[in-house]
Amino acid sequence: MTTKMIASSVYDWMDERLGLSELAAFARKKTVPVHAQSFWYYWGGITLFLFMLQCFTGVLLLVYYRPGVEAYESVRQITFVMHFGWLIRSAHAWAANLMLFAILVHMFSVFFMKAYRKPRELGWLSGMVLLALAACFGFSGYLLPMDELSYFATKVGLQIPVAIPWIGPAIANMLRGGPDVTEFTVQRFFALHVVVLPALFIPLLAFHLWLVQRYGNAVPESEEAKPAAERKSMPFMPNFLRKDIAMWIISLNILALLASVFPWALGKQYDALAPAPMGIHPEWYFMSPFEMLKMLGAVLPGEAGEIAGLLLFTLGIVLWILIPFYDKNKESGRRARLAHYFGLLAVFALLATTVIGYWTIR
Amino acid sequence: MNYPFWDIPYLGSGWVIGIIAIFHVMISQFAVGGGLYLPLAERKALREGREDWLKELVGYSKFFLVLTGVFGTISGVGIWFAIGLTHPEATSTLIHNFVFGWAIEWVFFIVELSTAAVYYYTWNKIDAKLHLVVGWVYAGASLCTLVIINGILTFMLTPGDTWLAVAGTGHEASKFWNAFFNPTYWPSLLLRCCVCASLAGIWALISASRIDGGTQPRLKSSLVKWSVKWLVPSFVAMPFLFAWYLFMVPESQRALLTLGIDTMGTGTFSTITRMALLIVMTSATIIGVAYYLAYRNPVDFNPAHAVAILLLALVATAAGEYSREMLRKPYVIGHWMYSNGVRVPYALKIDQTGYLIHSNWVWGGNCIFAYLQSPGDTSVPSCTTSYSRGEAIFRGECGSCHTLEGYRPLVKLLAGRDRANIESFIAMLHEYKADSPYHHFMPPMVGTKQDVEDLTDFLNAHVNPPAASGQKPVQTAQK
Repeated sequence: MTTKMIASSVYDWMDERLGLSELAAFARKKTVPVHAQSFWYYWGGITLFLFMLQCFTGVLLLVYYRPGVEAYESVRQITFVMHFGWLIRSAHAWAANLMLFAILVHMFSVFFMKAYRKPRELGWLSGMVLLALAACFGFSGYLLPMDELSYFATKVGLQIPVAIPWIGPAIANMLRGGPDVTEFTVQRFFALHVVVLPALFIPLLAFHLWLVQRYGNAVPESEEAKPAAERKSMPFMPNFLRKDIAMWIISLNILALLASVFPWALGKQYDALAPAPMGIHPEWYFMSPFEMLKMLGAVLPGEAGEIAGLLLFTLGIVLWILIPFYDKNKESGRRARLAHYFGLLAVFALLATTVIGYWTIR
Repeated sequence: MNYPFWDIPYLGSGWVIGIIAIFHVMISQFAVGGGLYLPLAERKALREGREDWLKELVGYSKFFLVLTGVFGTISGVGIWFAIGLTHPEATSTLIHNFVFGWAIEWVFFIVELSTAAVYYYTWNKIDAKLHLVVGWVYAGASLCTLVIINGILTFMLTPGDTWLAVAGTGHEASKFWNAFFNPTYWPSLLLRCCVCASLAGIWALISASRIDGGTQPRLKSSLVKWSVKWLVPSFVAMPFLFAWYLFMVPESQRALLTLGIDTMGTGTFSTITRMALLIVMTSATIIGVAYYLAYRNPVDFNPAHAVAILLLALVATAAGEYSREMLRKPYVIGHWMYSNGVRVPYALKIDQTGYLIHSNWVWGGNCIFAYLQSPGDTSVPSCTTSYSRGEAIFRGECGSCHTLEGYRPLVKLLAGRDRANIESFIAMLHEYKADSPYHHFMPPMVGTKQDVEDLTDFLNAHVNPPAASGQKPVQTAQK
C-alpha cells in the first residue's frame, strides 16, 4: 500500500464521520472581493495568527513561570538560565504588542470601510470587546515579571479606576488584592491572564470568526456602487489562503527579527519602598488614553476634573462602539460623512496624544 | 590620524556609510543581476516569438536605466564621500594599493552606463540581434564591475599573508594580485553573483506586478513565474557558498560567529550571530512569500506584494552588509588597520609617543591656522581648541564605532561605573591582553598613560556629570 493510498483511506474515514468534503466544497465556493483596498483584509488573519503564537509561547512560559513572591526570580531564570527561554519570552512580549497593533489596524480598516453596518453590527461589537480583552491581556501580562518598570507602571495604571466616583477605590482594591500592588496582585493578574481572559476571549473570537464567515468581507462604498458584473473576487481556497499564509510568514519574520535583535528586557526586581524610577509610563497602547486623561486633568484640575475627564473619555468610547447604530444608511449622507470625520479625528487624536505622551516623558 | 574626524552625533559616522551602502548594494547588485536578466529575457522572447514580452521589456529597461543609472551612481559617489570622511586612513590605503583596480573599475562603469542607455534607446530602432548584443555587452561590463570591486572589498577582510608581509614598506602595490585574489575572493564573488540574480528577480517582480492580470493573464503569469525562478539558484547554492566563505575567514574572525552560536541558548550571543540569524530567517521568508504570493498566484500578484518582497530583500541585504562589517572587527583592514584607523604595527609607537601628537588635524588644527595667519610671530602658538584632550582622543579612537548618547552609546554602556572603574576599563583596553573578552571585536586603546587619564576624565564627565553646577563637562586645555 503506497503512502498516497494510506492518506486517501484515512481521509475517506475522516470524511465519512466529519463531512470534510462538504467543508472543502464550502471553502472553494467562498470568495473574497478584489479591489484597491483588499490589502486591509489580511489584518484580521494576521491578528489571529499572532494570537495563536501568543497561546503557544504562553503555554511554554507557563511551564517555568511561578506567580506570587517568586515571580521575578522565575522570569529571571526563564530569561537567563533556561535555554532559549529569552527567545520564547521575547516572542511572547513582542507578539502581544504586534497583535494589539494588528487589532488597531483591523479596527480602523473596518471602520473606514463601513463594515459595521447592517448586517455586521455584531461583528463590530464583538470586535470591540475582543480589543478590550486584548488590552486587558496586555495590562495583566505586563505586571507578571514584577520588575521595577512593570511594578510602578501597574501602580500608576491602577490609580485610574480610583477616580471613578464611589465604586472606584473598591474596584482598584479588588484588582490589587489590597491597598497596594503586591504579590497578591500578581496572583490575581496571573489568574486573569491565563484563565479568565482566555475563557472569555476564545469563545468570543470563535463567534467573531463565525460572523465573518456568515456575512463575508464588506467592500468599500466605491466598490459597492459598481454593478455586480464589474466587481472582482477570488476564491478563498486556495487563492486567498495562500496570500494569507504569505502574510503570516512575513509577520513571523518581523516577530523573529524583533525577538532576536531586540530581546525583551528584564529590569531590576521591584522594591516597593524605593522611589519610582524616572520616566515611568504606560505601554504604547495605553499611552493615548493616559495622555488624554492627563491633558483633561490639566484643563480641569482637582477631583471634579478627574471625573469630568473620565466621563468625557467614556463618552468618546461609547460613541465609537455604538457607531453601527447611528451610521446605518447605505447612502453616503450627512451622518456617514460625520462618522468618517469622527474616525479621522480618532486616528489623529490617538497618534497625536501618543506622540505627545512619549515626547513629554523624555 | 592625519585627517580631521567626522563627528556625527547620535547616529555615528559608521551608520552614514551603512545607510548609503545598503541602499547602494540593493541597486548596484540589481545592476549586475538585471544586466543578465534583460538579455536572457529578450533572447527567450525572440526565440519564442513573444511580442508581449518584448513590449514589457522596453518599459522594464527604462525602469532599469533610471534606477541603476541615476540612483545607483549617486549612491556610489555617496559611499566614496562617506568612507573618505569616516575612514580616511583606510580609504587612502585602498586607493594607493588598488590604484589600477579602481581605474579598471571606472572604465567598466563607463561602458556599463553607456550600454544601458544605448540598450534602452535602441529598442525597435536597430536590428534585434544587434540589440541583443548590446545587452550582452552591458551584462559583461556590469559583471566585471562586480569582479573588480569584490577583490577590493574582500581584501579588507582577508588581505592575505603575502600582502601583509609587505604592508607598510611602500611596496604594497607590488602584491596587487595577491591582495586582489585574497582568500575570500572566490566564495564572496559567487555569493554576490547569487544575490545579484535574486535581486534581478525581485526587482523584475516589481515591474511584472504592474501588468493588469485581468486583461493580460498569460503575459503576467509567465513573467511573474519566470522572475520568481531567478531566486531559486541562490537559495540552493547560498548555504554551501556561505559555509565556504566562513571556512576561508581567519579563525580569529570566525570566533565572533562561533562564540555567538555557542551562547545562543542563554541569549547572550553576539550581534553578528543575531544578524546571521536574520539573514537565514529573512531569506527563507522571501522564498516562502515569493512562492505563495507570486508563483502560486501570478495573476493576482500586485505591486504591494512585490514591494513586500523587496522590503524583505532590503532587510536581508542590510543584515548581510552589517554582518560583513562586523566580521572584520576589530579591524577595518584585516590584521593591518584597526577599525579606528590605527595601523597595527604603529600601536606600540603611539603608546610611547602619545595619540594626539599624531593627530594634528584634530588637536593642532588651530595652531596651524594661527600660524598661517601670522607666520613668524612666535607669540602666536596659543594652541587652544574647543575640545579637551580627552574629547580629541574619544573622537579619534572611539568615534568610528561609538557615540556618546546615540548608537552604541558610551554613556549608557559605562553607566553605573565611577571614575576609577571607567579608568580600569580603559586600562584593560589599553593592555589588550589576548584573553580579554573585548580582544575579539574592539581595537586596543592606544596612547600614553596620560592619554588614558584624559579619556577617562572626558568619559567620566559624561557618565557621571557634575549635577549641581550644571557646567559643561568638557575641559578646554592647551596642547
